[in-house]
Amino acid sequence: MDLDLNAPHSMGTTIIGVTYDGGVILGADSRTSTGMYVANRASDKITQLTDNVYICRSGSAADSQVVSDYVRYFLHQHTIQLGQPSTVKVAANLVRLLSYSNKNMLQMGVIIGGWDKYEGGQIYSVPLGGTILKQPFAIGGSGSSYLYGFFDQAWKEGMSKDEAEKLVVKAVSLAIARDGASGGVVRTVIINADGVTKNFYSGDSLPLWHEELEPHNSLLDILASSSPEPMST
Amino acid sequence: MEALAMKDSAISQNGTERTLYPYVTGTSVIGMKYKDGIIMAADTGGSYGSTLRYKSLERIKSIGKHSLLGASGEISDFQELLRYLDELVLYDNMWDDGNSLGPKEVHNYLTRVMYNRRNKFNPLWNSLVLGGVKNGQKYLGMVSMIGTHFEDNHVATGFGNHLARPILRAEWREDLSFEEAVKLMEKCLLVLLYRDRSAINKFQIAKITEEGVTISQPYALKTHWGFSAFQNPSKGAEGSW
Repeated sequence: MDLDLNAPHSMGTTIIGVTYDGGVILGADSRTSTGMYVANRASDKITQLTDNVYICRSGSAADSQVVSDYVRYFLHQHTIQLGQPSTVKVAANLVRLLSYSNKNMLQMGVIIGGWDKYEGGQIYSVPLGGTILKQPFAIGGSGSSYLYGFFDQAWKEGMSKDEAEKLVVKAVSLAIARDGASGGVVRTVIINADGVTKNFYSGDSLPLWHEELEPHNSLLDILASSSPEPMST
Repeated sequence: MEALAMKDSAISQNGTERTLYPYVTGTSVIGMKYKDGIIMAADTGGSYGSTLRYKSLERIKSIGKHSLLGASGEISDFQELLRYLDELVLYDNMWDDGNSLGPKEVHNYLTRVMYNRRNKFNPLWNSLVLGGVKNGQKYLGMVSMIGTHFEDNHVATGFGNHLARPILRAEWREDLSFEEAVKLMEKCLLVLLYRDRSAINKFQIAKITEEGVTISQPYALKTHWGFSAFQNPSKGAEGSW
């Protein structure tokens, strides 16, 4: 299974959604693969549904894109009819409706996060099959396997915006270190009463984990700087 | 994973076993000739399916006095090969006749081993790069898990075939200096790091010349993510990638 260019585009992925005191933080990696080939190393898996609700997508890129497009369209109409911003709960349930009724054909697991004036920041998980679960935090995608233990230990209720964002970036970065299907940059989206902030943490600005090394421009620089020891036989 | 159906079992009618699929795998190895000898590079990762399980594997080893062997594919099979080669080199030394196995001989031996195993439907699941210098003659060859073998000025295994070889075809020259060869190698390694899911950012570059073998300590390369297009790719096309 080498360079199968006809393999479906799937977002191996690590996606995370976390509530904090005041809103939500959504985070994701940026790798989209076609079999073992990285088709896009800087994709944006956190997609906008409305001004105040975003969705983290994993699984089949095509399926999650088309479902998001439908939900965005329905929510747009709903917002016009309602006369005010849609709630996060409605957005999440629309995703669920499509996921559930097409469960035999779709392959996507998503995390919906947003802020509305009634319930504040909320995170909803919609995994394979179309279950909907409201959670204080959610993890998904292939990289999430490596994060269950991490979150069991590190998650706390009532974190500040900065604490929560640091947690999300650290978690995605840890998953990228071990999941071959996740990689690239860490994107975060912060949603609260004041609006939406998008951030971008590139590969070389993320912390180094176990057995990872400080990057250099070239081996030649290392050889030039410290003569006696770098090469061995 | 453990409860394989009978039809998937490797123990066939006659009670013998055969390799069905690899478990711990190494990804691409790249090799090229340069002015003074051969230069070879590989990352130090061992994947376990899609998990990047082992990050400090050495996939390039020296064989005898005149050769370097780099391997991709199943690591346990590579380790078995190293055992075979160890014995081969030992016997060679025991003759104590001043002769020593050169890269051409080692390559031929590996080809025979790989092809024979393939004929028994129990392959060593590796792609091997064998390079060396003896009496001023540079040698670089490859052997696959089915016994296909050839020599060339530059070779690569796995994803390297698709991503590194085009670069080498365009930019390799007979008279590359060590510095130029390293730079060219790093250009290939970076593309592999971006585009191969099983690549990790920890490499070893090995060189062999008439003087001997040097294998570098593992090191990492800087990656580039600062393109403006990467900042906000969905701008103007919400929901795209």
